[in-house]
Amino acid sequence: MVDVIIIGAGLNGLVAANYMGKAGKKVLVLERRAIAGGQAVRESFGKDFQVDALHAGGQLRPDIVNDLGLELPTSISEPLISILPDGRQLRLTADADEQTLASIRGLSKRDAERWPEFVAFMTQASAFLDAAYRTPMPRLPHITLAEGWPLAQLALKLRRLGSKDMFRVIRAMPMSALELTEEWFESDAVRAAIASVAINGQTLGPMSAGTGYTLMHTWLNRGGPGHRRIEGGTGRIADALAAALKARGGDVRLSADVKNVIVEDQSARGVRLANGEEISAPIVVSAADPRHSLLDLVGAPELPPEFVWATQSIKMRGAVAKVHLLTDGSHGLPKGTLVIAPSIRYAERAYDAAKYGEMSTQPYLEITTAGRVVSLHFQFAPYTLRQGDWEQLRPVLERCAIDTAASAFPQLKATIRETRSLTPLDLEKTYGLTEGDLNHGQLILDQMFFMRPMPGWSNHKTPIDGFYLCGNGGHGGGGISGASGRNAARAVLNDVGKR
Amino acid sequence: MSANQYDAIVIGAGHNGLIGAAYLARAGKKVVVLERREVVGGAAVTEEIFPGYRFTEFSYVVSLLRPEIIRDLELPRHGLKILPLPSTVTPMDNGDYLAAWADHDQTRREIYRHSPRDAEAADEYSRVMARAAKAIKPVISLVPPDPSSMSPRDLMGLLKLGKYAKSLSEKELYRIAKLVTQSSADLLNEWFEFDPLKGTKSASGIIGTFLGPHSPGTAYVLLHHYMGEIDGAFRAWGFAKNGTGGVTAAIASSARALGVEIRTGASVRQVIVKGGRAAGVALENGDELRAKVVMSAADPKRSFLQFVESKHFPDEFTQQIRNFRVRGSSGKVNIALSELPNFTCLPGESPLHRGAISISPSMEYIERAYDEAKYGQYSKNPYIDIIIPSMIDRDMAPPGHHVMSCFVQYAPYDIEGGWDDAKRDAFGETVISTIERYAPNIRRAIVGKQVITPKDIERIAGITGGNIFHGELLLHQLFFLRPAAKWADFRTPLPGYYFGAAGAHPGGGVMGAAGKMAAQEVLKDWR
Repeated sequence: MVDVIIIGAGLNGLVAANYMGKAGKKVLVLERRAIAGGQAVRESFGKDFQVDALHAGGQLRPDIVNDLGLELPTSISEPLISILPDGRQLRLTADADEQTLASIRGLSKRDAERWPEFVAFMTQASAFLDAAYRTPMPRLPHITLAEGWPLAQLALKLRRLGSKDMFRVIRAMPMSALELTEEWFESDAVRAAIASVAINGQTLGPMSAGTGYTLMHTWLNRGGPGHRRIEGGTGRIADALAAALKARGGDVRLSADVKNVIVEDQSARGVRLANGEEISAPIVVSAADPRHSLLDLVGAPELPPEFVWATQSIKMRGAVAKVHLLTDGSHGLPKGTLVIAPSIRYAERAYDAAKYGEMSTQPYLEITTAGRVVSLHFQFAPYTLRQGDWEQLRPVLERCAIDTAASAFPQLKATIRETRSLTPLDLEKTYGLTEGDLNHGQLILDQMFFMRPMPGWSNHKTPIDGFYLCGNGGHGGGGISGASGRNAARAVLNDVGKR
Repeated sequence: MSANQYDAIVIGAGHNGLIGAAYLARAGKKVVVLERREVVGGAAVTEEIFPGYRFTEFSYVVSLLRPEIIRDLELPRHGLKILPLPSTVTPMDNGDYLAAWADHDQTRREIYRHSPRDAEAADEYSRVMARAAKAIKPVISLVPPDPSSMSPRDLMGLLKLGKYAKSLSEKELYRIAKLVTQSSADLLNEWFEFDPLKGTKSASGIIGTFLGPHSPGTAYVLLHHYMGEIDGAFRAWGFAKNGTGGVTAAIASSARALGVEIRTGASVRQVIVKGGRAAGVALENGDELRAKVVMSAADPKRSFLQFVESKHFPDEFTQQIRNFRVRGSSGKVNIALSELPNFTCLPGESPLHRGAISISPSMEYIERAYDEAKYGQYSKNPYIDIIIPSMIDRDMAPPGHHVMSCFVQYAPYDIEGGWDDAKRDAFGETVISTIERYAPNIRRAIVGKQVITPKDIERIAGITGGNIFHGELLLHQLFFLRPAAKWADFRTPLPGYYFGAAGAHPGGGVMGAAGKMAAQEVLKDWR
């Protein structure tokens, strides 16, 4: 008999499990796949072909690492390098080192002078966002004093920035990345490089309102414009979390496909696996996306119609594809987060295609390398296609991704030995991401804070007693920071304490 | 008191300026309104562009004008007559049409004809939107508090805001939160399935903004237009007797009756500052007028970057005004006609001519129109909102003839290579040929046409950027951020200098609230 069942051994699931294990709960994590890690998984596509399948890097929030006393592999922050049509490289880092400034100066002296202040602003903005993500978002408008206090503290933190910076941060969130960067920089290439961070993983363009917020979000998760690379791959975060969980008496069961949550009179009683096995527990927490968790695992009949409607209305619409290349090792690509988004218009046009259910023909690309492997993050590849399906389009996708990368690095093509692509459909089928949305629900203004995953349910609870959500769809979610898992665990423990 | 000595000077005789002046005069102040043009009315002017044909050059419908203003200034007594626009018809590409009539049941049957599901949804949708518009109204008439300030006034304002939020039901609160942040495409897709219906409804979400239906934030603009009310009835759009100029004429007449002096052809060069206070204005012709208080009803850029030397403002404020977005996105084509346009979807003279005709076959149509604009081109297939004032008010055109007003989006102010006569003509031609697809006789019926680009709006009406709202209704340009953080309460960093126009809270759309609220703040400070 376990106290808590957690569905999904992604980082959020494992983080939540650890927090509850730490609080003395007996936790069982059930993973559908034969490998743990969820989005942060290190996949093997064959001999010498090990890749970080979905995220080229990332980091858990430092407070989580401390709370859980994790021993994580060292991670290094890499620069973002935008490849410009004339072959020039724009190098951006979160610290205003001379190399970065010189690189910006090559495009604009004025922009180079502004960079340190911009980094300071982004650091401040993401620090605020981090605090916001640690603050539970209660149900409005009737907030108890206990719920109101952390909010008041957050508001105070915002005011303590001083009116100038306070408004800077508030204003920036609903802005578009273009509007925001226009106020700072004159070089279109610099604007585009920053905007690429804002639209990474989002189905939005640099001109979409709210990409100011997504810029802060991704900047926070990465700790700067470029990825944070983990020695041995992102998979090792999951390994560390799983080990820590075992040490806390918890367990992770792989190849355990949860078919549905067992609900009796509006309360969770446990789960039923695909193989028919039933495991009972008073508390079930799902790290899967809200739509799958509620409509498939619980099922509409168990839920109020309005709630079902709200769940169906969550905007997922993923538009990310991955193309991994095993090369002979002589690709000669520089280290770092290499970006192909030379201009704002280039990136916006790439997004336009997604609006109409088409794959970008001139995609925004993020290229990362790990030894012989070269990984291409491709946007935009909309889950919902107007014509054809992703099996038909797979070769087109691979060709387009490789050609675009080769336009910047001509030598690459000849070195390719194997190609392995992940379409939005694969993201759904293999990784259980509904509509291939890495964020379990787009990070758009009407799906953030009090409205994430949906209005009135930002507290990780559901209409089913003892059934909670701890995935990326929750407050703090998006990326592989574990923030949502941490918040959900606190919400659960808070309730359990009351019992 | 000398001839040029006043209690208050108001810059700009648009509806906000006139309304502000009227409220000041009502409080017994000696007020003068200075208008650069020879005509009163700002963007709401009716002019005889071709002999016998009268047009409202820029704005074209009335709806958002606050009812309390109509009452306070007794506008009906001063000739304000609002004639209802009974219908909206959307011609479809297959030769059919979608209509919304004044009569609810008729409209319901009409929608049912296209989509039973949408007919069901439409009623609930209207109720929900009307409720949301009602619920958000208190915020519209609230002086935005400065959340960074500790002053009693601001804290009171924040308290009011908190009380207001608590007064809402959970449902209302979240609905408003969603409406303020959502895209109109997401909003409408949750409710409806029929493209022409979604296209036509989404249009109100883009008017006056440089955004497409898929851009987050457009649902708010949609709601903003929903607040239109005539005699308290929500969402009833109307057309003023003698055009929108009729509205400003009535306001001007009411203002004059209250003792306001209106000087036309009086172009302001600069605000005179004495002892760190606004003390009057200097005109281009060299005249100087003195007053205790100066209130600008011009757009933010002119009010703060042109009329006042930057040394009187903190850099932080000036920087914010520089960053304030005023990108014009719409144009207007005014056409004098020898006969009615004959729409293939409703041949001959039909009820559609008495209402609005909306060229908005689908949301994608409008989104694609936006795509062209964001890359610096005018839309090759634009959204057009057509009305034929002469059908409602026969005095607008010679007997048997007609005037047709076409509001067109998108026409970017910053068009690639800049606007010139050739581009203006090409833009006009695009509009004509677009209408021609639905009303083939339009071309031969044209007696004369006037094409207005955002550049022209800037030149003629003096609105920087040619944005009809003096500044886009973007989330980061609303409420306590409009026109600048810390200065959304109609005051400015220069004591004695006030700001009451569409560029201030709650924004444009011929509602006049800004002018009224600014006047009230002026009176609060009066010593």
